[in-house]
Amino acid sequence: MNRIVNVARMQLINKWTFLGIPAVILAGAFLVTYLIWVLIPDGGPTVYSGAAQAVMWYFLALGIQSLTLTFPFSQAMSVSRRTFYIGTVGLFAVVALAISVLYYILGLIEVATNGWGQNGQLYALGWVAGSHAVVQILFYFIAMLALFMVGFWFATIYKRWRATGMLIVWIAIALVLLGLVALTTWQGWWPAVGAWFVAQTPLSVSGWVALFCAALAAGSYLTLRRAEP
Amino acid sequence: MIDESRPIFMQIAELIENDIVDGALAEESQVPSTNEFAAFYRINPATAAKGVNRLVDEGILYKKRGIGMFVANGARALLVDRRREEFFRQYVQPLAREARKLGIGKEQLAQMLSRSETETETTERSVAQ
Amino acid sequence: MTDPGESTIIEIRNVTKRYKDTTALDDVSLKIDGGKIYGLLGRNGAGKTTLMSVLTAQGFQTSGEIRVFGEPPYENDRVLSRICFIRESQKYPDDFNAEQAFASAALFFSNWDKAFAQRLADDFQLPLKRRIKKLSRGQLSAVGVIIGLASRAELTFFDEPYLGLDAVARQIFYDRLVEDYSEHQRTIILSSHLIDEVANLLEHVIVIDKGKIMIDDDAEAIRGSAFTVVGTGTRVAAFTAGREILHRESLASLASVTVQGRLSEAGRAEAAELGLEVAPVSLQQLIVRRTMDPGPELSMNGAATELEVSP
Repeated sequence: MNRIVNVARMQLINKWTFLGIPAVILAGAFLVTYLIWVLIPDGGPTVYSGAAQAVMWYFLALGIQSLTLTFPFSQAMSVSRRTFYIGTVGLFAVVALAISVLYYILGLIEVATNGWGQNGQLYALGWVAGSHAVVQILFYFIAMLALFMVGFWFATIYKRWRATGMLIVWIAIALVLLGLVALTTWQGWWPAVGAWFVAQTPLSVSGWVALFCAALAAGSYLTLRRAEP
Repeated sequence: MIDESRPIFMQIAELIENDIVDGALAEESQVPSTNEFAAFYRINPATAAKGVNRLVDEGILYKKRGIGMFVANGARALLVDRRREEFFRQYVQPLAREARKLGIGKEQLAQMLSRSETETETTERSVAQ
Repeated sequence: MTDPGESTIIEIRNVTKRYKDTTALDDVSLKIDGGKIYGLLGRNGAGKTTLMSVLTAQGFQTSGEIRVFGEPPYENDRVLSRICFIRESQKYPDDFNAEQAFASAALFFSNWDKAFAQRLADDFQLPLKRRIKKLSRGQLSAVGVIIGLASRAELTFFDEPYLGLDAVARQIFYDRLVEDYSEHQRTIILSSHLIDEVANLLEHVIVIDKGKIMIDDDAEAIRGSAFTVVGTGTRVAAFTAGREILHRESLASLASVTVQGRLSEAGRAEAAELGLEVAPVSLQQLIVRRTMDPGPELSMNGAATELEVSP
């Protein structure tokens, strides 16, 4: 247990990686968006911005770096793969949860200040913002976790099977997607699929993504168990 | 200093013996610790210890608990005796064998030895000048 | 730290490691005792790093059994926490500087000596605040050496720790290693192909060649276990007849032959009688000789005339 906490502390030795850069991205995304809103003549309808997602994409890159560089270093620190995995994913989950709560609070402020006085929509995205507080936080949290796990999992694949592994994975994903599209078209399921997507709520999407996350988590753990630094 | 031909522990033992024979290490004086030997000669401490322990076994050095290693009383005499015996076997016996082969008699041999002494002295003096 | 005594701390049986088309370790069995400095010697690609990787569970054996401190090391934090192994090609997080790498090591190695690490950094003139990514090869090696020394792990591996270090820095490493080992006994496994430089530091020598253990013996037992005789070809051939020959070289009528075994007093006298010169063989020469083909036979009635290239 102690070593698991130490893995998290090791990841935090450079404060910038897990804390500083996300904070800068959060602040930067807000400032840039706000400036744009101020410069655009107002009076129009609600202005939506996707800038808040920026920090989520950073976590994809962080997932990759955690594995490609921090994992080999953790091996030199005589940490077992399991301890490294739990410590790293655990720390990430805590950071992701903190940011999710922050997003929720910023969303509340956004609504209360009429979109930061500019009728803008950055945090309180219409579709999600109507849900219960817990659902909102869960939704952000799961989304960030999914991106981190995607990065982490791709990096484990690369670590173990190099470029060939990546190629095979991409081809497999492409084949599965193509197969699904072909099947749907052939069976004339598109209207049903469309209806299914429309029927999804933030909570159900969180559920599906959580399932996806769990599959990735299990997959990356099993791959990591046999990875060499 | 340390060469490849023989085990290092034997060489360490000999280095200490040499210092005792030529008086650099007086009887009852303290010998450097094995760690100091290891650091100075850049050798494994266990190997240095083996060399020192060999001298302890032979009664040339003795341990004072908690203080260190000392040269035993009578160590020099013991070593000089041993070296003389070695000198006899390593140098005198082959010398006598060769002398017999060349028909050099005892008196002639003695003369040669004293000549060698004066010649060594002259060379040493000329080097000194 | 538990007693670093002489008991066996590593035991591996029939360990084989195969990569796609090479066998890096070929049915290796080995025991390693605690409290000694071991040399793991061999040519590049002989299997040194692979052996250390499987011992520390950083790599996986294809088959065979490994026990370290009495247990399999794989995914075993109890065993791993007593080990330190910094690879020759160790990777560090991109944004880390040396100071941060040492701060990490302090988290995981319970015997970490911060003051010692600081002193070593001064000795090696290592810039602590510069990103590791931007360090020179020698400075990168110094980071690994400092972690290895200051961690004071019960079982410490050094994997060719001198790459890019100049002669002065290498000497600093050897000196600090001997000093610190004198005060904090532990098991050190030093892999190297610069054999002459480390020979005197070792208590036990393991030589690996093409994935097999070739020598596994006390360093002192190996010292003087071979000698070279030089002289007229026919006389050398007469003297070495019936002895185990490791290497032959000849130049015109002169021959130089390396023979396995200790030279007795009688043998020494016989060589002197024949007018042959006898020279000791260093550990490095011995390993070179034993990992190579002996060379063509000397004929009794005259030396080979062609000039052979000495390795």
